Amino acid sequence: MSSVPLNAGAPSPASAGPLATLKALRGRLPAWLPWFVGRLLSGIGVVLVISFIVFGATQALPSDPARIILGPEAPEHTVDTLRRQLGLDRPLVLQYADWAQQVLSGNLGRSIDSSVPVGELMAGRFANSLTLTLAVAAVAFPLALVLGIFMALRRDSLADRAVLSSVVLFKAVPGFVIGICLVMIFSTSVFSILPAASLLDPSLPAWRQPQYLVLPTATLALSVATYLLRLVRASMIEAMDSEYVTAARLRGVPERRIIWRHAVPNALIPAIQGVAMTFRVLFGGAVLAEVIFSYPGIGNTLNAAIEMRDLPLIQGIVLVITVGVVVINLAADLITVLLTPRLRTATRIRARSPGLRNAASLWRTGKSWRVSV
Amino acid sequence: MSAHASSLRTVLSARQVRFGLVLTLAVVGFALFGPLFAPHAHTDLVGITYGRPTAGAPLGYDYIGHDVWSRVLAGGVSVVWMSLAAAAIALAAGTALGLLAAFARRRVDQAIVWFTDVFMAFPDLILVLLIVSMLGRDHWIIVLTVAVAFAPGVVRLSRGIALGVVNQEFVEAAEMMGYPRSRILFREILPSILTPLLVHLGIMLTWAVGMLSGLAFLGYGVAPPAADWGLMINENRAGLLIQPAAVFGPVLLIALFALGTNLLAEGVGRVTSRIEERKS
Amino acid sequence: MRAGLAAGGGLVLGGLLPGCSDGGKAPEGAAVLTDTPRRGGTVRFGVIEGGQAGNLDAHKPVGSGAFRGWALYAKLWEWGLDARPKLALAEETEVNADATEWTIRLHKGLEFHHGKTITADDVIFSLLRLTDPQLASPYAGYLYSLLRNDVKKLDERTVRIPFEKGAGLVALAECWMSWGGIVPTDYDPVSNVVGAGPYRLKSFTPGQRSVFTRFDNYFKAGQPYFDQVEILDFSDQTGRLQALQAGQIDIAPNLPFEQLAFLQADPRFEVVASETDVWHSFDMNLEKAPFDDPRVRRAFRLIADRDELVARVLQGQGRVANDLYSPSDPAFNHDIPQRRQDLAEATRLLKEAGHGNGLDVELVTAGGAGANAALVFAQQAKKAGVNVTVTKVDGSIFTGPKRNDWTFSTGGSVSRPFLLTVQQHDGPRAVGNKTHFKDPRFAELITQALGQPDLDKRRALIGEAQRIQHESGGMLIWGYSNVLDAVSKDIGGVTPDRTGFAGWRTDRIWRRSLTA
Repeated sequence: MSSVPLNAGAPSPASAGPLATLKALRGRLPAWLPWFVGRLLSGIGVVLVISFIVFGATQALPSDPARIILGPEAPEHTVDTLRRQLGLDRPLVLQYADWAQQVLSGNLGRSIDSSVPVGELMAGRFANSLTLTLAVAAVAFPLALVLGIFMALRRDSLADRAVLSSVVLFKAVPGFVIGICLVMIFSTSVFSILPAASLLDPSLPAWRQPQYLVLPTATLALSVATYLLRLVRASMIEAMDSEYVTAARLRGVPERRIIWRHAVPNALIPAIQGVAMTFRVLFGGAVLAEVIFSYPGIGNTLNAAIEMRDLPLIQGIVLVITVGVVVINLAADLITVLLTPRLRTATRIRARSPGLRNAASLWRTGKSWRVSV
Repeated sequence: MSAHASSLRTVLSARQVRFGLVLTLAVVGFALFGPLFAPHAHTDLVGITYGRPTAGAPLGYDYIGHDVWSRVLAGGVSVVWMSLAAAAIALAAGTALGLLAAFARRRVDQAIVWFTDVFMAFPDLILVLLIVSMLGRDHWIIVLTVAVAFAPGVVRLSRGIALGVVNQEFVEAAEMMGYPRSRILFREILPSILTPLLVHLGIMLTWAVGMLSGLAFLGYGVAPPAADWGLMINENRAGLLIQPAAVFGPVLLIALFALGTNLLAEGVGRVTSRIEERKS
Repeated sequence: MRAGLAAGGGLVLGGLLPGCSDGGKAPEGAAVLTDTPRRGGTVRFGVIEGGQAGNLDAHKPVGSGAFRGWALYAKLWEWGLDARPKLALAEETEVNADATEWTIRLHKGLEFHHGKTITADDVIFSLLRLTDPQLASPYAGYLYSLLRNDVKKLDERTVRIPFEKGAGLVALAECWMSWGGIVPTDYDPVSNVVGAGPYRLKSFTPGQRSVFTRFDNYFKAGQPYFDQVEILDFSDQTGRLQALQAGQIDIAPNLPFEQLAFLQADPRFEVVASETDVWHSFDMNLEKAPFDDPRVRRAFRLIADRDELVARVLQGQGRVANDLYSPSDPAFNHDIPQRRQDLAEATRLLKEAGHGNGLDVELVTAGGAGANAALVFAQQAKKAGVNVTVTKVDGSIFTGPKRNDWTFSTGGSVSRPFLLTVQQHDGPRAVGNKTHFKDPRFAELITQALGQPDLDKRRALIGEAQRIQHESGGMLIWGYSNVLDAVSKDIGGVTPDRTGFAGWRTDRIWRRSLTA
């Protein structure tokens, strides 16, 4: 059997021009640097392409922002005037060039709907989303880590099985269903101890209004923690079964020290990818929770912007989300490389995203990534 | 072949797999045959708004006076076929692209991988919202959109496995001996990626149920008067407190379906990886 | 007090502008209320306007901007409780004999939020701003014949506003009471949001929350009552309902009908139901088959079981309609017999029109009450062998560039007088003529009515026009709905209101639990 646990990726094609120069510098620079630079460039390319796709897509949306803003009562010539004022009558390429130029000079334009600068509008919403994300992370990550390690150490015990089966339930039931149930239990039908709608006061930062964060955080944490929990459990079990743990045991190293010094640090490396995945999901996909709780986050804003065909706002939000996703992926991969000795010192990193596939496999099957013959 | 049959038997003997399979089949059966037993057409207005359950209507009436039981019976077909179709299309398209990438290498491979990067950086729900608002909400458009959102994951998965196989000596040997590529593909590669892909199919099915019902919930999915479990949750949410059955019926069925597919996929994944370990 | 010139105006204009003659009565509200208003406290409104965040513009309100406008801006006329214009900032108004010139005089000593006195210059500025083509206000169209360059200041408080001769009577008061907020000459809708309304702006976060504080020099003595008003934007009806239940908002204006039963069961809230002229219709496009055949239109109007539609879609909160709008208009023709469901006759007409073997029609709708009505109608149509497929599209597509091209779609609009509604929907210069109804005699009657100041003569013209609409028009108007506002029992002063704006009147509500 040939087991290729981590970098079973593609053999990179022959290095292109800039990479060749980097190769010459390899003597002095860390080995992962060419890989990192390549990934960075590719990430920038991804952002560019997505901005272009979104621009094209929003322009292709049926209906017309000017008409939607002015409503059905507006006569056609009034709509034409507004269309001209918004620059919507000009060729697509010109509009994109203008937009890109504006963005490069740090200006995201004005919202068509409320005529507030997009940057200003998004800043508040992103701050709210970030607060919610961090709150979810603060609840879900420690919970998943502690429970995952605990369950791995008591593998197949009654507690392990009980948690595993209840976790499957939360993993399977769609997040918005969990949200509706929480609202019914904690704010409307059974108890009324928590606000049903997260009506944040915009003059205060979101973290100063914790009562509004509880239910959305709980909803998202319940759906997210399950994935992470299973990942940690699986990778911890694998670490405990590994040869170096067996070797350490033979050498008479105390069990406690084996767990905390050897097993846990190694088990956490796949969890980095899990954390990145969680951030990605929360960053762009908390729309349903935001709608249920009327939480003024970025998902709600984007949903409304699409409905209103508020093009500058859609483009601004998607741009920031894409950059965020690319940065998160890159950071997760870089951390994985730096924390994995074999990858850190490798002469050449072949996988595009070392560790990602391993994490995905741990998720799916509870086993590391292997290619069997 | 007999090896495959025996591993199938092993898979089916696992308790979780059997439970997941029974649950999934039960919900699918309910969805497929339910419409035959519906006392009313799902569009018939037979009761008062948010009427309480009675003897003739075990789940009461909904926001406009439809019989909830009839709609629950009729509302599973779309959930089942749409999630199955979305997952299957994503699987087929993704596998094809992934294998192409693994075989073609170089430019084509780079291009495909890079485009999966692009799609993966695109948050799923945003992608779907954009496409659905652009092209409308016909069932097949929604299905294709969800498939597009899922396909990049399949591309990654199948390409990775295929590369692992392609790089092995016997494939190189076969290539050198002049065996046609298609033969290598079907004889050597497909069998080894079949199991992980099937596991992934199960997982995508769960995601698809969540995503499709979420879309219906946001108002971007199946449109009334069609009966659809996700849509029904949304329609009757306002009456949650006076007529909870209209919401809980569909919620329960969606949860059971998602649970069944999830248990099945996970169980199969766990058992097959155990089989593989034993083989090695 | 307010009689004099205004009474003359009212007499001349008869039913179109009768509210101008509201002379010398006590401030409305005081007599109706059981409790005494008290000052202080905060009130929170939860509003829903699709996904639209809206703005603060006095003359181009979009989204929930119209709602905020009620708190921010005062107007020359305001909506009376009977849905007719009532003098507000204007002390007297006068129209000349051929209805081409309005003379308007302001009250003395009126003030804006920033302390400046309101003068004729501000009135002219506001009027010119509303009708500025560059502002692109959707409502400027109602003042189509205004001679913008000849608006004249007579003295510090008086303005003369001329209109084109022969272009017909212009509903200046109706237009103004909706979209004519008086703003100072240094007004800016983003950086200097100043008006003369009951509350001044404190903060505005689009799509989220706007906060207002009391304006102490408001033109109605003693009003308003709250120290602070908060308007919260919601995007989800159920989210708003839950916020109401959890005590996070006090008033939820414009409740969807299906939430009624639930709120009626809750003793903490009162649902204020205002009988209005808000109408609901199915619009048949006369230029497209099968509705190019008058027999089909007639058949469809006979298919509708209007009582069931009112009962199911409006939860009984409304009245059956007779394919005509604006029933409160004094010129409305009440002599036309009410149309009722007649399936036998409908089937016969369809057969005669060549649809004896059934007919397939697509009914396009956007959601809300219209979508529910479509579902109910589809069921009713089955009984006459008509297969109606309901297609739901996004609101932005429904009212988008294709909005007038649907073959069969749901429709309706707010409470407005006949002549304003006809100009919007099926009159000779209608902007949103979804039915493409173009009857020469009808157009002639409308044009004559627009130029006819005498109510009795106008009643005859409109009466005949409505007969034509009833006979061969393209709208199947099945009902008028009540506007429902859910109000916490702790809030006083929200009373049923013909306008449907009961829950919008921030200047006449107060909190009951405040101790004096």
